[in-house]
Amino acid sequence: MTKRSVSILLPIVLVIAAAVAGSGRMLTSEIPAPPAIGSTIDEFNLPDVDGADHALKAIKGKNGTVLIFIAVQCPVSNAYNERMEKLAQDYNAKGINVIGINANSTEDASAVKNHAAEKHLTFMILKDSGNKLADRLGATRTPEAYVLDASNKLVYHGRIDNSQDPGKIESNDLRLALDALLAGKPVEKTEAKAFGCTIKRA
Amino acid sequence: MTSKLTLVVITCVLLLSFAAPAQKRKSAAKPTQKAPPTTAVVNEINTDSLKTLLSESKQRPLLVNFWATWCDPCRDEFPDLVKIDAEYRPKALDFVTVSLDDVDKIKTEVPRFLDEMKATMPSYLLNVSDPEPAINAVDPRWQGDLPATFLYNVKGEVAYRHFGRVDPTELRAAIERLVSSKQ
Repeated sequence: MTKRSVSILLPIVLVIAAAVAGSGRMLTSEIPAPPAIGSTIDEFNLPDVDGADHALKAIKGKNGTVLIFIAVQCPVSNAYNERMEKLAQDYNAKGINVIGINANSTEDASAVKNHAAEKHLTFMILKDSGNKLADRLGATRTPEAYVLDASNKLVYHGRIDNSQDPGKIESNDLRLALDALLAGKPVEKTEAKAFGCTIKRA
Repeated sequence: MTSKLTLVVITCVLLLSFAAPAQKRKSAAKPTQKAPPTTAVVNEINTDSLKTLLSESKQRPLLVNFWATWCDPCRDEFPDLVKIDAEYRPKALDFVTVSLDDVDKIKTEVPRFLDEMKATMPSYLLNVSDPEPAINAVDPRWQGDLPATFLYNVKGEVAYRHFGRVDPTELRAAIERLVSSKQ
């Protein structure tokens, strides 16, 4: 290898190495466990799809908040678009705000904005670039929901319901949790799992 | 010379004008053609059968991959899994895949994809109304995100787990560890 080729290749190699080292990519096995039910979710600040920042304290509902990790391209998340929109409308009227979170590094803010317009999603969607919130909440898939009570305590974590097919719903877990919260009763089933797409971390 | 050139151009135009509709007819006929028959066999499995599959006494370690045709990283990693299957199943490993597709795809999209991948390992499709008991039976630490890959030792314990697209080098190392220790 000539001195000239080394002088050309070395900076390229260094730039690639720096990019890989600096990416801080988290292996799926290193994603922290979700917070325990009953623990308080700390304040966070994330931009919406137009770049305007929003703090949790400013966007939370007076009776509670639902955070749902969603995606543009995930067919499972997309199977829930109508149900999520209906949920937002139904519970917004009852003082619970539904907020979508897109933490996929493969989907930028403009893609999220266009998707929301196309699918008629009117609830607020925040962009979690760098997966700070996803990591803090131990979120791994889309869709994945977190229900916070009025004082930001986690009262439910998991699926929206048991089936991607609306005709096969047998257990409406997220709505049951919200109804219990509104009734001032303990949530009976605090965690529920379903299949979903992996969150594409940065 | 000019007249010869004109003749060639006219001939070409005429040939193209005949060829184009023929091509259109060919492509228009495509949707009515039946899809070729699939050779991969996919068996339905429920939560109880899945539990039995995972817990029954094993002669060899068992690798299980959960995937779906709608899951892009699942499709991306499949060629690597097929290579690992060819490398280890003949000598030291059992390997099954479990599709989370809808049951109506058990004779269509799922075997079609497996054929495309030249996958020959035993293949199942999980048909359950509530996926949670199956997810917990596989591994309580799994939240249900796909793809997910688990390596069980002969005692039926999870020796290695990976959520998201597999790293073939990491997976091979985990298999080698298990195979060499004869666990």
